[in-house]
Amino acid sequence: MVSNENTYAIETISLTKIFPDWWGRSKVVAVDDLNLQIRENEIYGFLGPNGSGKTTTLKMILNLLHPTRGKALLLGGSSDDPEISARIGYLPEESYLYRYLTARETLDFYGRIFGLPREVRHERVEMLLEMVGLAGMGNRSVGTFSKGMARRIGLAQALINDPDVLILDEPTSGMDPMGTRQMKDLLVQLAQRGKTILLCSHLLADVEDICDRIGILYGGKMRTEGAVSQLLQHQDQTEIHTGNLSESTLQKVRELIAGQGHDCDVRRPMDKLETFFVNIVKQALEEKQVTSGAGMGTGIADFLAERPQTRSRSVLDELVTASVDSTPKQDQSPETPTQKTEPAPKPEPQADTSLLQRLTKPDTEPATDEAPAKADEQSTPAEPSEPVEKVKKDMLEGLIGRTSDTAGSTETTHPEDSKDDNHA
Amino acid sequence: MHSIWAIAKNTLSQAIRMKVALAVIVLLVVLLPLMSVIMEGDGTLLGKLQTFVSYGLGLVGLLLSVLTIVIATYTLSSDLKRRHLHLVVTKPVRRYQIVVGKLAGILILNIFLLAIFGGVIYGLTRLIPPLAQADDAEVQRAEREFFTARTGMQVTYDEAQVRQAAEERFRMLRDSDQIPREMSQPQAMRELMAQERMLAKSCPPGRARRWDFEGVRFKVPDDPDDPDGTEATIFIRYKFEAATPPPDDTIYGTWRVGDLRQMDAGMERARTPIYEVQRGEVTRSYHEFSVPVEAVADDGFLSVAFFNNPALNRTTVILEDVEVLFDSGTFSTNYLRSLLLIYVRLAFLAALGVSVTTWLSFPVAILVCVVIFLAGTANTFILDSLDGVGLTMGIIYQFTLRPILWMLPQFDGIYNPSYYIINGRLIEWSFLAATVSVTLFVKAVAVLLLGVWVFSRREIAKTVV
Repeated sequence: MVSNENTYAIETISLTKIFPDWWGRSKVVAVDDLNLQIRENEIYGFLGPNGSGKTTTLKMILNLLHPTRGKALLLGGSSDDPEISARIGYLPEESYLYRYLTARETLDFYGRIFGLPREVRHERVEMLLEMVGLAGMGNRSVGTFSKGMARRIGLAQALINDPDVLILDEPTSGMDPMGTRQMKDLLVQLAQRGKTILLCSHLLADVEDICDRIGILYGGKMRTEGAVSQLLQHQDQTEIHTGNLSESTLQKVRELIAGQGHDCDVRRPMDKLETFFVNIVKQALEEKQVTSGAGMGTGIADFLAERPQTRSRSVLDELVTASVDSTPKQDQSPETPTQKTEPAPKPEPQADTSLLQRLTKPDTEPATDEAPAKADEQSTPAEPSEPVEKVKKDMLEGLIGRTSDTAGSTETTHPEDSKDDNHA
Repeated sequence: MHSIWAIAKNTLSQAIRMKVALAVIVLLVVLLPLMSVIMEGDGTLLGKLQTFVSYGLGLVGLLLSVLTIVIATYTLSSDLKRRHLHLVVTKPVRRYQIVVGKLAGILILNIFLLAIFGGVIYGLTRLIPPLAQADDAEVQRAEREFFTARTGMQVTYDEAQVRQAAEERFRMLRDSDQIPREMSQPQAMRELMAQERMLAKSCPPGRARRWDFEGVRFKVPDDPDDPDGTEATIFIRYKFEAATPPPDDTIYGTWRVGDLRQMDAGMERARTPIYEVQRGEVTRSYHEFSVPVEAVADDGFLSVAFFNNPALNRTTVILEDVEVLFDSGTFSTNYLRSLLLIYVRLAFLAALGVSVTTWLSFPVAILVCVVIFLAGTANTFILDSLDGVGLTMGIIYQFTLRPILWMLPQFDGIYNPSYYIINGRLIEWSFLAATVSVTLFVKAVAVLLLGVWVFSRREIAKTVV
């Protein structure tokens, strides 16, 4: 478990890119001595303002640009190597699809390039179209699609080879909230199934919701890097969500807290606009209103879910893989460790168990109808009508750790539930 | 291979969706049948056929060349400009596979288009004789001179002999001081050699000139009415020039065709027949007459002699391009070969177009391709005119410009398929193979390798600030 080169899915070593002008003089330092280390099975959020060098870095990783200095390693090699690029999925900042091809032809084209046999290709194309909510539009040419729809096809093409590493540049730009939500859910699920995801975005909410670690780039240099929970969590505050309390109970609570020497602020939680919007669209969908736009995507395509685990690379991974097999259908039980899972596992025993915990999730995924609603609540303040008590120290934690820090409820919330929600 | 095929297929879809392809197809579909009706040539059936096929093949060749240049320069450059390649190159595909895939797509498209329009011209050509109101003689002439594939043997003159004769005369003239001062020795020699060559072709009144051909071998055509090939004919083709044009512009003469060695040996009775033909024909245009194949000796020897009858002509006759022709193939296979010649041209242009767009933008690339295409169609002219430069310049030229010019494709002269089809000349397989090897396997491959080399090193997402 020693960090050697092979444990990184993506690594850059002193990566530098200087764009010359027409005469070959150095003009713009786009990326400056960047050292990225992204572990396998991690969702890494790559942030930064416009022009900070995010996309340039991705392009160097993918060999679309040659570094001026330094090196970019992808799965320990160069993306020029077909062996390696066969394991990569890439969604560029704009979708760059052939406008004259239909959605189906587009996916088929990339499937062919990957050398997928005909049956596999056809099967995957249909699954992916369904997954990204464009099943009815397979025969429409991509040129007629809106940006968000093209984005969906872009995502589908990035997944056609069931990649181990996904590199996404602004994946949700131009997408409607439904699509954004589905995309986020999907990414979390993919990460759970052992994929590494490098997500480049300046939509902070997206990154915050799903990333394990983030790095913020400014002027081509890394300003800060670390686990989302570490960077964002207020260690000195507690948030409590509960049902409607009477004024007298509230008073008692206030007194109790005052007794601890803290102030407290009581409010009615609001629905997030995202949740509200998703509900409205879902309603329309249930009423079967006609649309020429993107439909509701389904859950993760089967072929992406088939292979449950990471490649056995380290002792940890082997351990984890073995555990998955030995704990089928194990429901979330009270003995669940409640500590947060940090996806940057320091070689500590806790990290192992938590990872295992996280990875067993796909098997325990219950397709009940209640669970999703709760997932929504978890990612957003609880709906008032829901009487279940929940303690929520940190919304993010719930998503990242995929274990709610429960204090009374045994319900666990994890993002794939909210996906099922959409599925309903 | 699967990626090459995927890219080829995609290129094909791209090309089909381009308006220019549609424009060319519509233009040809309208023009070709129209041309077959309108074109008359010199009024004879043969003339009509020759004019139609010449213009038809020329038009198809030209339009498909232009189409190929446009598509070949467009496909890769637009993929780069619209950044489609950002996605493609991150997939498991080698750069060369992208270039080759693009090229393969265009080549496949060209096969289809050339087959379709080549077929249309062929069909219309076959339809012209039954539909034209022509008499039997005209139809027969068209069959003999057009719907056939003949091999021609031209008279060759011994250059060494010509030079020797010229040198002798030069010495004689110099000794008698008859060479003008301002004329240099090479100039004078060139002049004298031209004179000698002319002399070798000329025939004064009352004199005869004879040409011997060896190795006149031909395949007897598969004519069911003529199993022995006894009705097969050989053709003598020639053009007259008169030193002083006669009033009626007509030259009268007697031709003898056969194994004239028998007469040299003074044999009593010739074993193979010798045919005598009286002809009177206008100057400065080609004529031909036929004699039965029996005239050829068993060892493939044939003599052709012309006697300038002093009773009818008062001028020295210069006989240009005397040629013996014999059937050696069918029109259909020959036509197919002419299409292959056009295809070689298209394939070269496709390779060129794709290659130059690996480092040039679309407008520049299309300009370069058009210039090279035009240079190719005037290649013989360019080379001929530059070969005439002076001695010192010549050496520099020989080692600098000439190799570059040699790299240019050759689409004109003997590489122009119309010439063969119009004159019913056989395009030999060996010639076709040589053209394919030089134009495709040497020139096109060189251009393509250069393109692949550049493309493999290129930053696909390059931005210049």
